[in-house]
Amino acid sequence: MNRRARGLRAWLWQRLSAVYLLAYTLFVAAACAIAPPASYDAWRAWMADPFVGLATALFFGALLLHAWVGMRDVIIDYAGALSLRLALLAVTALVLAGAGLWVLQALYSLHGR
Amino acid sequence: MERMRFSVYRYNPETDAGPSMRDYEVDGLAPGMMLLDALARIKAQDETLSYRHSCGEGVCGSDGMNINGRNGLACITPLEGLGQPVEVRPLPGLPVIRDLVVDMEQFYRQYRAVKPYLINHDPSPEVEFRQSPAERERLDGLYECVLCACCSTACPSFWWNPDKFLGPAALLQARRFLADSRDQATEERLDGLEDAYKLFRCHTIMNCVQVCPKGLNPTRAIGEIKQMMLKQFI
Repeated sequence: MNRRARGLRAWLWQRLSAVYLLAYTLFVAAACAIAPPASYDAWRAWMADPFVGLATALFFGALLLHAWVGMRDVIIDYAGALSLRLALLAVTALVLAGAGLWVLQALYSLHGR
Repeated sequence: MERMRFSVYRYNPETDAGPSMRDYEVDGLAPGMMLLDALARIKAQDETLSYRHSCGEGVCGSDGMNINGRNGLACITPLEGLGQPVEVRPLPGLPVIRDLVVDMEQFYRQYRAVKPYLINHDPSPEVEFRQSPAERERLDGLYECVLCACCSTACPSFWWNPDKFLGPAALLQARRFLADSRDQATEERLDGLEDAYKLFRCHTIMNCVQVCPKGLNPTRAIGEIKQMMLKQFI
């Protein structure tokens, strides 16, 4: 098999991240249904739990990855000119990287209080 | 139904500034007649109309066209039940040579790219390469393709990247040879399909499945190729 596996790898990551996104969504929905946090502080405390924090960080990681593969697919399909495609990919990467930093900052701030 | 109205795409690049739709009315139509019968009557009225046809029974795949917005073979599309005026256009996405005749070169190029023939390095046997009935059964739903191009020209991914994405018809044939017990080039075939375009531009839109006049399922075949690739990868 081609070592780079460009097409397969992107497709595989898209599928794997989708499975994790679904699993995490179900997990949070179930947690909220079984033991709804009584207050904002309780919610923050729950989110600050290392297991939940790690799961949430992974969730956003998977979300960004999923968004990147999806946006890349759309751009490859519709943006034919190389310069336009590169520009759109760069903008997408910047926006996703910014969102990722924002998520990290938000998660980190849970522990700062 | 006796009398039906048709609106047919007309374009002769040698004389026309651009394509246009021309209206026709056809008399004497009877239940059980196919669109191809009506086209023959239109041609009797107006012999400048060009379209391809040959076997007239859905076997040769020559008369693929866009009928009321949906690709199909004119010879096996019953006139009964078609909304009027019946809008007949060439297959979308391919260059028009004239009227309903399109240039299939791009489509055939993608077909050739998947090496649609058995690759077997063993010395030729005295009889034939034998298959068990079960091995032969694995080709069902794959070998029946008549290369009419209805599926590939209904596929948005093929419209956007016809030179790089192989399209459902070629990928169905890729799967047909990957599934063949006599073929020995599985790894080369899978390697040949591995890039961002050839196979992976398929987003399971499934227009191909909807329009295939032979009732085949290229989307499933593409999924099976992805699974084979995954197995080889991990």
